[in-house]
Amino acid sequence: MARSTYSLFVFIFPVLLCSVNSSSGADEDYEPGPDAMVKAGVPAGTVTQHQWHSEIFSGTERDYWIYAPKQYDGSKSACVLVCQDGGGFVRENGAFRAPTVLDNLIDAGDIPVTIGIFINPGVVPPAKNGQQVRKNRSFEYDTLSDQYARFLLEEILPEVSKAYKLTENPDCRVVCGNSSGGICAFTAAWERPDAFRKVISHIGSFTNIRGGHVYPALIRKSEPKPLRVFLQDGENDLDNLHGNWPLANEQMAAAFEYSGYDYKFVLGTGKHSGRHGGAIFPETLRWIWRDWKKLNP
Amino acid sequence: MKAYTLTLLLFISMASAQDMPLSQVIIDDEGWEVAVDGFEFGDGLCTDAEGNLYFSDVKGGTAVYKVDLEGNRSEFISDAPGISGLQWGSDGRLYACVAKEQRVVVFDAEGKEVELVAGVKPNDLVVTHDGNLYFTMTPTQEIRRIDPTGKMTVVSQGVVTKPNGITLSRDQGTLAVSDHGGKYVWAFRIEEDGSLSHPGNYMTMRTPASDPDIAKGDGMATDQHGRYYVTSAEGLQMFDPTGRMGGVIATPDPESPLVSVCFAGSDHAYLYVANGGKIYRRKTRTSGALFFQEPKPNETPPK
Repeated sequence: MARSTYSLFVFIFPVLLCSVNSSSGADEDYEPGPDAMVKAGVPAGTVTQHQWHSEIFSGTERDYWIYAPKQYDGSKSACVLVCQDGGGFVRENGAFRAPTVLDNLIDAGDIPVTIGIFINPGVVPPAKNGQQVRKNRSFEYDTLSDQYARFLLEEILPEVSKAYKLTENPDCRVVCGNSSGGICAFTAAWERPDAFRKVISHIGSFTNIRGGHVYPALIRKSEPKPLRVFLQDGENDLDNLHGNWPLANEQMAAAFEYSGYDYKFVLGTGKHSGRHGGAIFPETLRWIWRDWKKLNP
Repeated sequence: MKAYTLTLLLFISMASAQDMPLSQVIIDDEGWEVAVDGFEFGDGLCTDAEGNLYFSDVKGGTAVYKVDLEGNRSEFISDAPGISGLQWGSDGRLYACVAKEQRVVVFDAEGKEVELVAGVKPNDLVVTHDGNLYFTMTPTQEIRRIDPTGKMTVVSQGVVTKPNGITLSRDQGTLAVSDHGGKYVWAFRIEEDGSLSHPGNYMTMRTPASDPDIAKGDGMATDQHGRYYVTSAEGLQMFDPTGRMGGVIATPDPESPLVSVCFAGSDHAYLYVANGGKIYRRKTRTSGALFFQEPKPNETPPK
């Protein structure tokens, strides 16, 4: 257990710095709505925490959470929602409060019975006390390849399937994420449309962190793929060495429009945070699942 | 406890995914200037605690040369031709890859040479604070380690196409190796016993349009904030500690290959590069990580 104590001090400092810097502005106007609040009479699902040691991302460890709604009884395959940076999506007082949102929307019949899988990015823990982890988030999320899709299909989904009956219908699987987790969600579907066809990206990093700025060009010059894509961004999102987030998301939306995709783009006034995406998350889920009753999980 | 730690790490990794543009490193009015001139092919740049620069002339030279903080050049160790890599150890000795003679050697304080291994094809090396020496064997796709007792082991083979430059994370828990025959800088975990595990193609280098798969990654260095620097066909490439490209610093003389880099000079705040028959330097806003000193965590750069 010696490994558990590594680097706490080292990492807490930058967090404090960031929290001081991220205040004020229109971003604060976005708040979780009534569908993100626990409602009387709505059955609450369960959230369990797990750990995963990956082979595909060699040497990495990560936490993930499984949400199972009360309505899931194992008699039928459930739809699947996979969220990157999963810890933030399940946090009870966070911007998304995904378990509560899912409870409310499933109860209302707005979305199908869905198993939520909320996955953190991997870290390669250090061998010795006092050393820092090798953070694998950017490698996993920003790289344009099928590696993350394979990680889901060959490692995570089979593991979760040991306890839950999950759909294999690609139209019944949603991949979702924020920032680099957003481009990661799109990349998974772009690489494996046979497996994932619904994408939700908030403040997606379609910029040149590791080459993701090429997607609008690829989308325009590729035979359209059967994807449904939701994009959210804010006018005050990042403009830095990797690119300009609002412009990049506008380029993505324009490419989807040009190529005739089933997409929706919401451009607000927020910054590089999950606040706007979180505030509209119930509406986004209703849109992505708007015809779910025609689907066969 | 473990679960708690991983969760905390994620929270932190999102919050602290700080942008590291070139503007945090280079200074507008401080471009490259010639630091040393008049030799054939400089290589093996390294520094000591004071910031003196040491280098070799791998093709034409017969010595290890020293440039002090006033810019005076002298012959530090005579009769030492064909050296392609140099690093000071925490034991106050200077370790060297003698490519020409297929040996790895160490010079003591009096300049007396002790052979560590022979019959190898060393290119470049790094020495950890606890006395493990890692060196690249470019033609055989190997990384080898010489432990403090002098025992040599192969710690990686066949992972990196042409392993060349080699450096450490500032905390010395990660080894980074550049590929001269590919486009990645690879990261390895250094295990407690000194072996390497979990290679990852962690950094993707920019490549020439004429040769899109081969960056010609060469010499490497690390700074106080954990950024990695690697010389290449496209220039001096900088990566943040999470492997994201931060930018490319232009090669002083694009007509000559850029092969070696280190931080040296006053406060170790100058980037030095070997670029053909000249060594250039420029002042930066950062300073180098020194592996003969105690391992340290990355410092957070000023905004």
